[in-house]
Amino acid sequence: MNRNGNGNGNGNRHENGHVLKVEDLKVYYWTGMGPIKAVDGINLEVRRGERFGIVGESGCGKSTTAMSLLRLIKPPGSIEQGRIVLDGDNLLELDDEAMRAARWSRISLIPQGSMNSLNPVVKIGSQITDAVAAHGGSGARAKAKERIIELLGMVGLPARVFNMYPHELSGGMKQRVCIAMAIVLQPQVIIADEPTSALDVVVQRVVTQTLIKVQQRLGASLVIIGHDMGLLAQLVDRLAVMYAGKVAEVSSAEDIYKDPLHPYTQLLIGSVPSVKEKKRLQGIPGLPPTLLEPPSGCIFHPRCPQAMERCRKEVPEYREVKPGRMAACHLY
Amino acid sequence: MTMNNRLLEVKNLTKVFGGGLGRRNETVALDDFSLTLYDDKPMITAIAGESGSGKTTLARLILDFIKPTSGEILWQGSDLHKMSKQELMGYRRQCQAVFQDPYAAFNPFYRVDHVFHMAITEFKLARSRAEAEEIVDDALKVVGLRPQEILGKYPHQLSGGQRQRIIVARAFLPKPRLIVADEPVSMIDASLRAMILDIMLKLKEEFGISFLYITHDLSTAYQISDRIFILYEGSVSETGDATGVISNPQHPYTQLLIGSVPTPDPALKWEEDIEVSAEDELGRGAKAGCKFYGRCPHAMEECNRSRPQLYSVGEDGHYASCYLYK
Repeated sequence: MNRNGNGNGNGNRHENGHVLKVEDLKVYYWTGMGPIKAVDGINLEVRRGERFGIVGESGCGKSTTAMSLLRLIKPPGSIEQGRIVLDGDNLLELDDEAMRAARWSRISLIPQGSMNSLNPVVKIGSQITDAVAAHGGSGARAKAKERIIELLGMVGLPARVFNMYPHELSGGMKQRVCIAMAIVLQPQVIIADEPTSALDVVVQRVVTQTLIKVQQRLGASLVIIGHDMGLLAQLVDRLAVMYAGKVAEVSSAEDIYKDPLHPYTQLLIGSVPSVKEKKRLQGIPGLPPTLLEPPSGCIFHPRCPQAMERCRKEVPEYREVKPGRMAACHLY
Repeated sequence: MTMNNRLLEVKNLTKVFGGGLGRRNETVALDDFSLTLYDDKPMITAIAGESGSGKTTLARLILDFIKPTSGEILWQGSDLHKMSKQELMGYRRQCQAVFQDPYAAFNPFYRVDHVFHMAITEFKLARSRAEAEEIVDDALKVVGLRPQEILGKYPHQLSGGQRQRIIVARAFLPKPRLIVADEPVSMIDASLRAMILDIMLKLKEEFGISFLYITHDLSTAYQISDRIFILYEGSVSETGDATGVISNPQHPYTQLLIGSVPTPDPALKWEEDIEVSAEDELGRGAKAGCKFYGRCPHAMEECNRSRPQLYSVGEDGHYASCYLYK
């Protein structure tokens, strides 16, 4: 297995190569009334060493996207079509055993609410050792302890956490244990699904800063799934905005916050309350569509203040509308 | 001011959980909390704090779900715990609640109309079916819902934002004087959150309803509240006019809290990394003195010895419990 690009950190941060490429991915959940198109033909590219955000509201398909990157979609969900290319290998074509080997060692996941997924009756050190043994092959267990204590240090936890139980730790500490667990085999890509939801703001800041530090030190790519435009502004280099199973826009963080292209992105940024300036809060009129019977044309048109006749009929193509900026909107 | 216009008075309220034999595991969830709301001056008062700060304990005490260990709650001058059954019923009608989870608030087997019917029967709000229908329609319109699109539906057919608006309409139904809203928007998507907060403002402005807005989110508190109390481990660390406190925080804890709220602008990054020692995270320091002692960048000898009272730090009743302002 080729494992280049790991190791010494910042060197390849701004190189342009893609480590992960998602092409025309479709993930459906099958119901008695037909398929719910949770992810409906998305394209994403994650560069080597970057922090890439996927933002959207509940039901937009962001977590389904995260889970499908590791092929962890369970029935009634299924990956219908597309390619997920990690460093040249299409993960959707790997056999189960090869995929199992790729998980954790090449691409790892910090699942949503993972701090509550720790086993309450097993010490932290043993849980991480188990993860190493499950994915790192034979002999890994013996060398694990020293390495795990080093990792705990990397996420800002003292060595004695190795011998502690989850209930002895605070939420933020448990979340950092999960970060340590995700990086134990030095993957090239780390997926973090809402890594700080349910944490207090100060703890959220500590955990976020830990994630950035760890990602830089490993030189890995980090894909962060989130709903908070404020938090992602602190965290990502580039950002994809998802709405109802589709990608509305992908741009660099600078561009997207300064000059959002898609009307949905504009409204989403406008709905974030600030502690710096007082303004009448603006929401987005209407409701997200049901994915069983999505609206015709652009899926956002019923809520879009700039909708035109064309938007009702024609699905906008996702394309480069300005240099380096992708969007699916008829305005451009 | 005279006694008559005092809607709610909370005096030195303390709640201690646990204890039992030897009193070893006592947790002081709320410590000597006081507040007054005036009926002729409806306001949104934010009670803000992180998990474990005691904000929900305060809400539960005011709603009479739990009894205080010490201290008093007066509603329009009379003690909540000395009220007759009938008076208490009147209090429950005038002081309504909205909770965090718009999914858990409904019984999935009943149509959503059920929550309105229960309130109408319980508080005897209507004499006829027609009158009942009319007040339900009115309440739904106040929260911006069209009755014909809502009534007769089951909870699973509605979105979280719609359900939460139904719950607000249900709270509005008995024409209360106060609504205790415990994290009413924390489970609502950003695009729909503004609508709920707008309804709260509207109920205050058009119907003179006061709000206790219990939240962990300082940015929404800043946008809609008139006053704010910042709680830390059961005690008020800072209080005052919401704009004053959030734009010009004085207590080191409030400063840390506000400095940690992420801004949706990549150019405005967090200033520096913060280090929290594992000991502080696990044990949370000395208890005789200031509760923030272990984490405070300005900690002094005095702070470890005794607990600071609230000192005036600015206009409009701006106070902070910190020896820096003694």
